[in-house]
Amino acid sequence: MGELILGLLLVLLSILIYTQTGDLPSMNESQLDAGSFPQFIAILLGLLSLILVIKQSIHLLKQNQNKEQSANIKETLLDVYREHKLVLITLSLIFLYIILIQIIGFIISSIAFMIITALVIGPRKKKDVITISSIAVILTIGLYFFFQNVLQVRFPSGVFF
Amino acid sequence: MFDLLFLGFGEIFRLDILIIIFVGVVFGVIAGLIPGFTVAMAIVLTLPLTFGMDPVSGIAAMIGVFVGGMSGGLISAALLGIPGTPSSVATTFDAYPMAKKGNPGKALSIGIWSSFLSSIISLFILVTIAPQISRFALKFGPWEMFALICLALTIIASVTGSSIIKGLIAGLFGLLISTIGADPIMGFARFTFDLKVLRAGVPFLVVLIGMFAISRLMESLERSEMKKDLEAKQKENASEVSFVLKPIQTLKTVLKKPGTLFGSSVIGAVIGAIPGAGGSIANIVAYDQAKKWSKDPNKFGTGCEEGVVASEAGNNSTVGGDLIPTVALGIPGSAVTAVLLSALMVHGITPGPLLVVDEPSIVGGIFVAFFIASFGMLITQFIGMRYFVKVTQVPTHLLVPIILVLCVIGAYVLNNRVTDLYILLAMGIIGYLFTKYKFALAPAIIGVILGPIAEVNLRRAFMTDQDWTLFLTRPISLTFLILTVISISFTIWQTKKTNERTRA
Repeated sequence: MGELILGLLLVLLSILIYTQTGDLPSMNESQLDAGSFPQFIAILLGLLSLILVIKQSIHLLKQNQNKEQSANIKETLLDVYREHKLVLITLSLIFLYIILIQIIGFIISSIAFMIITALVIGPRKKKDVITISSIAVILTIGLYFFFQNVLQVRFPSGVFF
Repeated sequence: MFDLLFLGFGEIFRLDILIIIFVGVVFGVIAGLIPGFTVAMAIVLTLPLTFGMDPVSGIAAMIGVFVGGMSGGLISAALLGIPGTPSSVATTFDAYPMAKKGNPGKALSIGIWSSFLSSIISLFILVTIAPQISRFALKFGPWEMFALICLALTIIASVTGSSIIKGLIAGLFGLLISTIGADPIMGFARFTFDLKVLRAGVPFLVVLIGMFAISRLMESLERSEMKKDLEAKQKENASEVSFVLKPIQTLKTVLKKPGTLFGSSVIGAVIGAIPGAGGSIANIVAYDQAKKWSKDPNKFGTGCEEGVVASEAGNNSTVGGDLIPTVALGIPGSAVTAVLLSALMVHGITPGPLLVVDEPSIVGGIFVAFFIASFGMLITQFIGMRYFVKVTQVPTHLLVPIILVLCVIGAYVLNNRVTDLYILLAMGIIGYLFTKYKFALAPAIIGVILGPIAEVNLRRAFMTDQDWTLFLTRPISLTFLILTVISISFTIWQTKKTNERTRA
């Protein structure tokens, strides 16, 4: 199922890229211009994705013929959700983290992100909280000063500093 | 050949570089032995730290991590029976039973010696072959380079992943990502969809961190993966195993099996040199071949010495093999060498056949750093084993947040742009979906790095001469294209055959 959706998305992507290339300026007829190489790749990608989609649909149809759909859709969806719950939460945490870096600065948001993620994933015992908190503080501050002083990288400092 | 080595010795024998290599090796070993933390991840995270160094020290650090990481998987494989990296799957077959029978020290030291000796053998192969190939490659025009990249990508697509269609799709997707941003010849902005973020293109390192590190971490957070991990960790505690390493005695044992050692090293080096195929394949093939050639194949799997020698020699010698196309042609054979090449590019050095001629000190430095790193690995493994063993127990809930923050920092440091972090997240999600549905990541990554080179060469070919049949009439280019077709059709034929066999 997932392959089918991914394949369809890739077909759409190739069509999008292919149509976009028309707007690109070209030098003259005799040369390959900025759009030709992506166009060539988009055609190949579109064709292969189409083959994948067709193969997958045939495969799925055969499977459906062999056995009646036993499990109902709601249950399978719930199962998928349970399996990937942590992945989804962590991805949204990363998204929040990136936004927060720009608002409250690198140091605070990194420490907060590490502690919250560790607590979401792992057990919430007192000992674990202390371990991850100390690791988070030491690591963040250490890296901050290393990059700031040795590599002259400026991290976003946020509104507080 | 020897002038390169002398140059390299001159470059590398500085106290600071030697220390950097040793630190790299230790970090690599630790990364290799923690299940779920791969060598590719370790090397991706090392790269930002090397931005401040000069090119030779930066490369030396990464080679240290590479060599250390390849041998680190041995520890968890032998003591826990869990491969620390995908490259040590076959090591568990014999090293773990040997440890169970009461000889954990012997299993570890045989593994360390075979890793070391095979690294040296593969270094020798690298030093003799790479300059010859690059000399030959100097004859290549844009036609040959383009055909060569087509060949490299199809080989990668066919050896990795579950089906060649998916491999090719991943490779083309990588090529497409590389076309975002300014076009390499005239500088027109392409596919930016009016987003400022995309105008400068998608930075290669960000794609790499997203696809290799973030996607892998997300995978380990799936519920069934977490359960498996917990069970494995409860089963056995590596730090409680007591063992005695006997370096001298086991060296004799390993040297008594010269055939296995040498054969597996050559297999490893050859497999390493094939784009896309790396330690994980070499490890199993070398083990399998050693079993086939053995006089007594039945003892394999029960904890025999040859099994440990073959599997560990197989995976460590891929380092040298992997570096052959990287140094000689500028075509990375794996994610790890792709990072190595991007490190060179960060320092303004263009990889390719000209590298040996233009930057002999860098090439010599790579060779000698590899040599030193092998010694560093030998010494740190024998001295530090006691402490390394304790690290196998790092729990997932500590590892994941820490590495995620390191990923974010690594992606930010490259251009000092917060917007790159959104690209990082997007690439992480794409990489996760790709692994989830069994699209191999290696072709995508190598597509991203080879994309601009392929495009420049293709367009240069047409600028020189509009006749496209030149791709088919120039003999070397034709050979590469024929090999491309053969590699695709062979893989399709092979899958059909195995499908029929499983059905029957």
